[in-house]
Amino acid sequence: MDKNKFNFLKQEQKLDKEQTRKSLTYWQDVWRRLKKNHLAIVGLVSVIIIILFATIGPLINPYKYNSQYLDYKNIPPQLNIYKLDDDLYVFMSEMYHLILVTEDGALVQRFDLAEEDRDLVNRIYTYRLYDDQNNEIAVVAVDFTYQTDPIKRLEGIKFSLTYEDVEYKEIHDRVWNKTFILGTDKNGRDMLARLMYGTGVSLIIAFTAAVINFFIGVLYGSISGFFGKNVDIIMMRIVDIINSIPLLLYVILLMVVLKDSWFEINVLDKIFGAGGLGTIIVTLISVYWVGMARLVRAQVLGLKEQEYVLAAKTMGVSNNKIIQKHLIPNALGPIIVTMAMMIPTAVFTEAFLSFIGLGISAPRASLGSLANDGASFMQTYPYQLVIPSLTIAFMMLAFNFLGDGLRDALDPRLRKG
Amino acid sequence: MNRYIIKKTLFSILTLLIVVTLVFFMLRAIPGGPFTREKPLPEATRERLEEAYGLNEPLLIQYFTYMGNLFTGDLGPSFRKPAYTVNELLATGIPQTAKIGLIAVIFIIVLGIPLGVISALKSNSAIDYGVMIIATIGITVPSFVIGSLFILLAQKVSWIPVGGLTTPITYVGPVVALAGYSLAFVSRLTRSSMLEVLRQDYIRTARAKGLSESKVIFKHALKNSLIPVITYIGPMIAALMTGSFVVERIFVINGIGKYFTESITARDYTLVIGVTLFYAVFYIIMVLLVDIAYSFIDPRIRMTK
Repeated sequence: MDKNKFNFLKQEQKLDKEQTRKSLTYWQDVWRRLKKNHLAIVGLVSVIIIILFATIGPLINPYKYNSQYLDYKNIPPQLNIYKLDDDLYVFMSEMYHLILVTEDGALVQRFDLAEEDRDLVNRIYTYRLYDDQNNEIAVVAVDFTYQTDPIKRLEGIKFSLTYEDVEYKEIHDRVWNKTFILGTDKNGRDMLARLMYGTGVSLIIAFTAAVINFFIGVLYGSISGFFGKNVDIIMMRIVDIINSIPLLLYVILLMVVLKDSWFEINVLDKIFGAGGLGTIIVTLISVYWVGMARLVRAQVLGLKEQEYVLAAKTMGVSNNKIIQKHLIPNALGPIIVTMAMMIPTAVFTEAFLSFIGLGISAPRASLGSLANDGASFMQTYPYQLVIPSLTIAFMMLAFNFLGDGLRDALDPRLRKG
Repeated sequence: MNRYIIKKTLFSILTLLIVVTLVFFMLRAIPGGPFTREKPLPEATRERLEEAYGLNEPLLIQYFTYMGNLFTGDLGPSFRKPAYTVNELLATGIPQTAKIGLIAVIFIIVLGIPLGVISALKSNSAIDYGVMIIATIGITVPSFVIGSLFILLAQKVSWIPVGGLTTPITYVGPVVALAGYSLAFVSRLTRSSMLEVLRQDYIRTARAKGLSESKVIFKHALKNSLIPVITYIGPMIAALMTGSFVVERIFVINGIGKYFTESITARDYTLVIGVTLFYAVFYIIMVLLVDIAYSFIDPRIRMTK
């Protein structure tokens, strides 16, 4: 072939031919994989929403989690209002408090019910509304005989309202509560504020427990895995023993022991504030580090046989440095996944503990204690149970989706099915 | 083989001893004894009570007395319900708890495993997605939420009586609430393990030599894919038979779970230890059984040990 037929390419053309792609760091690669996973992104967004709800929410919401509005106890999120006059709308709560409301559902004022206005014989109560100067504005008589009278019972209503000699039986409208969007609890505290606060407490518990767990587990597991031999045998026997008892029992038992103990009152409550927050965190940590320790050990055992560790050893790098610089960074993927999964477990366990009455004590609240409070009045005020329960379920779903996605993204080998 | 079983058994017994010791000393570390009340008892009464329960002895002697009694199966009197011993309370509670637990276990095995297998065989189909969505919800929604929502629903329909275990229909709620999580978990586990096995070479070999599809699945795939499921089911049975605190509270069932939560709030320490021990023993025995069963199913395990 004639040599002259060949030309030199220009510099730019040369570059075009080469496969150039920006090299990605490990974390960029993880983020790229995570973005592709729709469920994980849904989880991530939900987690961010939950965190914003718990942090920024209380700043926007005008009510505080522990302020009690005693006039408005157990007001549901949805109100059945009666129209008594053109601008006179009232709502009767399940506790038989008569409340003046606006047409679109904002609470205005509670009617007074004096002792002498309760006619217990005829079961007719007379509610009175006063203005600022203590002048009587409206009088409403409520007839409760619809619950007792054999003929009136057939109408299937609980009471009728009489205002200016006209009897009202029909509900005018069903409107959403504009003052307390999610209603109030038995002490007249805003459910939304309590929900935000409770979500925050649950998140604090979960994150603190997960982070401290991470450190204990990594320390214990890497020491055990790295030194091997007798150290490993003894350390792993301890882990085995802890692991062979149902963890929940442990948690419950520890809670019982720590509750109201010297340690709780003088140490934990000083750090985390009263109400048993610290106790729950300590309990969760002292139980769940085991799983983390096992995982780290297994990782370290596998990694320490690698050539680069041998190379580091031959060059005389100290054990501490090898653990810090070589083993931990390489084992980080599965460790982070375990940590991410630890958060829903902690939320779950905390909710469970609070639900059986061992958790956060009033006036502080967590999602579990809110559900627990609501469970006692489940029949009359279902919203008090349903709202925190759904929040827990939503939170669990969000963290699980995110955790699953992280697992696939951080360590594709672990991908299931 | 025998050595393996003996070793495992000895380790289980050691674990139990440690658990008992731990629980014993933990409860002794609690400030105030069982007779500390809000209104203090007269000094003389308290001393006589402590003498009657042997609480005035040195700690070590108390410990050995308790351990001695334990070996004869005596868990001591309940501190807060003086008319009963812990054994009697356990004896009334266990059958209630066991009934619910047993039905839940059967329900999980009969429903969870086939669901997992079906969604693995039809993977990425509508059935698969449906099962997996329900399973994810089952794993993420706590049992007390399921239980409470069930009760609310039951009241709306008002043909299911709520509370206690009277007619067969009253079992539905507790069983669903109790089984929810594990049912979801078992079907997910079965699915992923089945998918794993179906990719193995011996499945291809089995198909290549012309075995019928049902033989491939039931004889080769299913058997091997059940190994991780069995590992989970052992402790799960223990957890279900015992760990129904919440379900029992919601559905007002007088099982040991209810006694346990009650004894915690009442600070009835002997009852707490008693129930904990019962749970721990049951759990450890189940794990031991699974270990042994495992070595029969999977020969690789006993070879390496």
